[in-house]
Amino acid sequence: MNLKNLSIKRKLVLITMLTSGVAVVLSSAGFLVYDLISFRHSLSEDLITQAEIIGYNSAAAMAFKDESAATGTLSALRAKDDIVSAVLYTRDGKMFAQYVHSNTPQQNLPAPIAERGYHFEGSYLEVFQDVTLNGEPVGTLFLQSDMRRWNARAERYAMIFFSFVLVSGFFALLVSSKLQKLISVPILHLEDTMRMVSTTKNYEVRATKFYSDEIGRLIDGFNTMLSEIQQRDMAFHQANDELKTRTMELEGEIVRRKEMEKELVDAKLSADDANRAKSAFLANMSHELRTPLNAIIGYSEMLEEETNELGKVENVKDLQKIQGAGKHLLALINDVLDLSKIEAGRMGLHLETFNITQMVEEIVNTLHPTILKNSNTIQVRLAGELGVMQADITKVRQILFNLLSNATKFTDHGTISLDVDRSTVEGQDWIRLRVADTGIGITPKQKAKLFQEFTQADVSIARKYGGTGLGLAISYRYAHLMKGRISVESEPGRGSVFTVDIPSRVMTEAADAAQAEKFKDLPSAADQTKSNVDTILVIDDDSVVRDLMSRFLTKLGFRVVAASSGEEGLRLAKQINPLVVTLDVIMPDCDGWAVLNKLKADPELADIPVIMVTVVDNETMGFKLGVSNYLLKPVDRDRLAILIQEHRVTRHSTVIAGMPSPASHRDASPETERVGSNRTAKRKKK
Amino acid sequence: MKKFGLLIVLFAMALGSHAEGVGSSDSSEYLIKAGFIYNFAKLVEWPTIAFPHPDSPIVIGILGDDPFGATLDRTVADKKIEGRAFVIKRLKWSDLKNFKDCNILFVSSSEKDHIDSIVDAVKFLPILTIGDTPGFAARGGIMNFVVEDNKVRFEVNLDAAKHADLTISSRLLTLARIVQQVRADGRKPE
Repeated sequence: MNLKNLSIKRKLVLITMLTSGVAVVLSSAGFLVYDLISFRHSLSEDLITQAEIIGYNSAAAMAFKDESAATGTLSALRAKDDIVSAVLYTRDGKMFAQYVHSNTPQQNLPAPIAERGYHFEGSYLEVFQDVTLNGEPVGTLFLQSDMRRWNARAERYAMIFFSFVLVSGFFALLVSSKLQKLISVPILHLEDTMRMVSTTKNYEVRATKFYSDEIGRLIDGFNTMLSEIQQRDMAFHQANDELKTRTMELEGEIVRRKEMEKELVDAKLSADDANRAKSAFLANMSHELRTPLNAIIGYSEMLEEETNELGKVENVKDLQKIQGAGKHLLALINDVLDLSKIEAGRMGLHLETFNITQMVEEIVNTLHPTILKNSNTIQVRLAGELGVMQADITKVRQILFNLLSNATKFTDHGTISLDVDRSTVEGQDWIRLRVADTGIGITPKQKAKLFQEFTQADVSIARKYGGTGLGLAISYRYAHLMKGRISVESEPGRGSVFTVDIPSRVMTEAADAAQAEKFKDLPSAADQTKSNVDTILVIDDDSVVRDLMSRFLTKLGFRVVAASSGEEGLRLAKQINPLVVTLDVIMPDCDGWAVLNKLKADPELADIPVIMVTVVDNETMGFKLGVSNYLLKPVDRDRLAILIQEHRVTRHSTVIAGMPSPASHRDASPETERVGSNRTAKRKKK
Repeated sequence: MKKFGLLIVLFAMALGSHAEGVGSSDSSEYLIKAGFIYNFAKLVEWPTIAFPHPDSPIVIGILGDDPFGATLDRTVADKKIEGRAFVIKRLKWSDLKNFKDCNILFVSSSEKDHIDSIVDAVKFLPILTIGDTPGFAARGGIMNFVVEDNKVRFEVNLDAAKHADLTISSRLLTLARIVQQVRADGRKPE
């Protein structure tokens, strides 16, 4: 068993025993050794004295050569048990007389040695002593003692020593067993108390203090610690209870929150459902509204043309009214849908690089009749060579269109001026469009609400000037969508100045940028010579649309092939390789997206430009799938004409050299005007 | 003593006799006797008046025929006992008056006829008389050499010693043969 793990009781006893044992053994042994050494010394002294006496007594015998006398002297040693042998030697080393103790076995006697005195030889003490007569040496005496006295004494001492150690050990054990309690009892009590506290966790227990020594202080300290722990324990329990209560409260709270969350999720889901329903409704409605409008506007235009040709002028005015109302309704519907798209954040940007001058000229040309209507003049100032810009041309065009329309609308007998220039501000290239008029102007109060939806400067104005009141709101949002801005300065009665700033390179997300790249590449890939230059493939399940498109495009000088389904369209496209394909989305069996996918997947057909002509308002999807242009029904014929002309020029610039180019649009416009805008034709006839 | 031992050895070798024993050789016997005389001087105390000075030599007189030769002279030469050296005188019966100067008087066996008169002459004088004749001590001599079992021994007459005021050490006496005076008058007809 390890000594160090003994109980404190045993340790104390052991320590006492060992200490006293060591003390007793050391002192006894010291005494013993001292005594034995001195006894040995006295033994030798005794022997020397003995030798002197014998020597003295035998000197005369030796001097007178009386061996028997000498032997008699030596035999006196018989009384001394410890003397084993004695020898007298003459001066010349011969043995003179000898004595051997009766109970000693005969042994070889040593030769006399020169050295006088005593020495220990084995277990014998031997003495050589000169024998003198009146100071004159006559011989040498040898005495040998077997030290039995010393041995007996040592044996006796050993006995005494062991019994002494035993007895003192016994008494030390007795005393230490009693005395160790002074230390061990309080410590054991403390240990018991500690164990009790740690097993029962009862901190009310206290250890009893026995004496005021260090252990007493230890017990005091322990008790103090216990009361401290007791206090902490109580505080801890209180805190724990409180924590439990809080936790329960929190859990309740969490349950309530979860319920609320669930309600919220439900609410959101139903709101999303509602929103989807609304969007679906809007999309549906726009489709439902546009389809009949398409027929109304299309046929009224046709009718107007035919009526004009027939000379029934009185009916023309009515037809124009129908047409005007239809177009107004269409504009209103488009604006509302655009706005709702912007609000919903679904209005994407379709970026392309285009010629600014060309774009401006197109719009001015389109609006020219309207400008003339209020006896206004227009001044277009282009600052030098403007070059190209990258933006969503549709939106830029609409902004400029809106601003110019407004200017003509609110100006009578005045001047409309359009300034376009390019400038660099803060390291960025900007295109600035500035539309100024000399019209009625805007009051500061009106200006504050100018770019909000459904807000015209005055309710009366709406009645007087017409319009949806959405134009500026849409322009404002389009400008911001392209990271641009729009502002107005005005003085009531003196006119207004609208300024639009748009970055010359509008940047959007990478996907859109890549789209733009794809568009840039498009012209270079389009140099097919075998292409059927003037054939346009119209794919639409609606016979009304096919009819209107065929008539219109034929009048523009194109050959039109119509297909009533997607499969037919694909087959025809392969057959005739048309200049342009116009494609509807909603068709039975194979819809427009599927047709588009197949067209673009076919390497022979992939290069044919596709113009979507549909009521489905999903430009983003269209551009993603690779359409070149996206037109919503009812179709703006002027726009369609321009687009097709562009494609013709791009694809066959060499083949059809001399053909009217979009840049000289004005030269081509008589045809366009005549077909696309009855109002323009009418103005011209005036 | 060493010399003495050496002499014994030499003689023993020369004469082929037992070193310890007296043997047939007179020289060997007298060599031992000479040693004994010297040793007697050690163990006998003379009264103060026996010496004129504290360092006066011990005078040994040899009366009659000298059996020692040079042996005794050699034995005591350079020896001293309590500061006293030895002087040896050789005497004749006729020098009787010179006996008184002696401290030790060796009476040779040649003087066996004069023993009584010699003893009478030195009676009450502190002279150690040593005889070499049987019966010398019994007739009033103090000491006498005897040979027993081939070994030299000696006799002591304590009364004679007492008369001579000589103290003989007990150590010597234990070795001696004590003899009584034969008659009070000391005379014994031959």
